Amino acid sequence: MDKSKIVFHSIALITLVVVFLFFWYLIENTHTEIGQQPTANSQQPTADSHLYLLLPISLLAILLGVACAFYLEERLPPTNWFRRLIESEVAIFTGIPSLLYGLLAVEIFVSYTLGSSGQGWGVLFYAEVLTFIVLVMPLTIRTTQAALRSVATPIRESAYALGASQWQVLSNQVVPLAFPGILAGCCRAMSRALAAAALLMGIHTWGYTHETAISAGIHSRYVLLLVAALLFSTFFSFLKENPT
Amino acid sequence: MKQNVKTKIEISDLKVHYGNKPALNGISFDVYENEILGIIGPAQSGKTTLLKVINRTLEFTADATVEGSVKLDGVDVSTIGDVYGLRRKIGMVLPLPVGLPLSIYDNVAFAPRTAGLRNKAELDEIVERCLQQAALWDEVKDRLNALGTKLSGGQQQRLTIARALSHQPEILCLDEFSIAVDPITTMRIEEVLKMLSTEAKMTIMLVTNLVQQAKRLANRTAFFLNGNLIEIDTTDVIFSENPANQITYDYVNGNFG
Ligand SMILES: Nc1ncnc2c1ncn2[C@@H]1O[C@H](COP(=O)(O)OP(=O)(O)OP(=O)(O)O)[C@@H](O)[C@H]1O
Ligand SMILES: [Mg+2]
Repeated sequence: MDKSKIVFHSIALITLVVVFLFFWYLIENTHTEIGQQPTANSQQPTADSHLYLLLPISLLAILLGVACAFYLEERLPPTNWFRRLIESEVAIFTGIPSLLYGLLAVEIFVSYTLGSSGQGWGVLFYAEVLTFIVLVMPLTIRTTQAALRSVATPIRESAYALGASQWQVLSNQVVPLAFPGILAGCCRAMSRALAAAALLMGIHTWGYTHETAISAGIHSRYVLLLVAALLFSTFFSFLKENPT
Repeated sequence: MKQNVKTKIEISDLKVHYGNKPALNGISFDVYENEILGIIGPAQSGKTTLLKVINRTLEFTADATVEGSVKLDGVDVSTIGDVYGLRRKIGMVLPLPVGLPLSIYDNVAFAPRTAGLRNKAELDEIVERCLQQAALWDEVKDRLNALGTKLSGGQQQRLTIARALSHQPEILCLDEFSIAVDPITTMRIEEVLKMLSTEAKMTIMLVTNLVQQAKRLANRTAFFLNGNLIEIDTTDVIFSENPANQITYDYVNGNFG
């Protein structure tokens, strides 16, 4: 494993940990009134309307991911530090099994539909949105980049040799060839988002068993396991020889 | 050699590295206007790299660095702002036929279209002329809308030749075009190249692994080895009993290595 790769992975990992701790802090500070039933007159949107927001947001994140991948792959040289940093982050995120994102989403979701009231749900809702974005976007970036890379260099070179501009090469050659791959990646990402949403639906209809769980101390163990699992998969992608 | 030759391409002290690995070690020579220059040399000698420097497609290889200069009509190509215009002056035929994922017609019409030509009648004319020049017209005239990638290897190679001619380049670079082409078609294309040289006044750089092809076509021949230009001279001298270097003689006569 070459040295600069370790450096970039370390920087990526450190930024991730900082962001993670920050959100952890925000979420913890909204747990104050856990155990309350959501009241009929509260200003919280219902769980359903949250879900209906999460899915379009995921779709947007996927489209943004595709755009991001185009930018990284077609506009920046492989040696560019920004590209390498993003690719390291993406490698770490895609190394995390989607089940973990699902569990994280459930944890946040249960907290905000059951637990907090007033200000709290806002932050939690953003945390939920972020979970979904992180669930779909790195995967999309990665699959799109792979699809773009699969278009053989000679095809690009021949098109350029004929005097085509980068835009013409992209729109006439690269995109038509890479399109099936890009679409497949988007579908995979969307299925992740839908599955996570379905999980939340299930939990929601499942009822308010969470309350009992909290009093039984399951909650903290659940969180502990989740964090441990996240850490392990993060280290896994960190240690993997060839992350991209 | 001919009198009053004009220099078309002037290469001076050209060095190319891929990362730390040298591919061309400071080569200098001129390409004259309207000549056919044969470039021969074993694998890895830097022939393809040289062509890529001229039309600046080497820029897509991230770790490649270029030193020295290549001047086209007296202008250093690396300083040319309109790189697309530069590439349109140069027709490039790559060793393995790369059919763009388009129909036969669209493959040939691609370059004129990217240059802004929209007139259907003119495009039709260009497509027909180029396909005829590449000795492909008769075989494909009934299925111009079929995918170019569905043609046989040799046909695809001729399609790339037609494509390279479609923007009426001043210089035509062919990189081992006959790899995938049968001998009879090769002969037909060679006739076309001679015709382009004499009638269309094109400057042709012909990279070839078939030394006899250089002997048949080239006015002058350059011999490359491991990124060095060993010798460049009129084809008669290179293929004579006494070229300047023994190694040239050995390579040309097939007792190399
Ligand atoms: N994209 C690349 N990245 C790294 N090294 C390269 C690349 N392309 C070529 N090289 C190296 O540069 C040297 C010259 O290669 P080049 O393709 O120019 O040779 P060539 O004379 O065209 O050979 P051939 O007859 O096999 O086509 C070789 O040592 C090759 O390994
Ligand atoms: Mg070559």
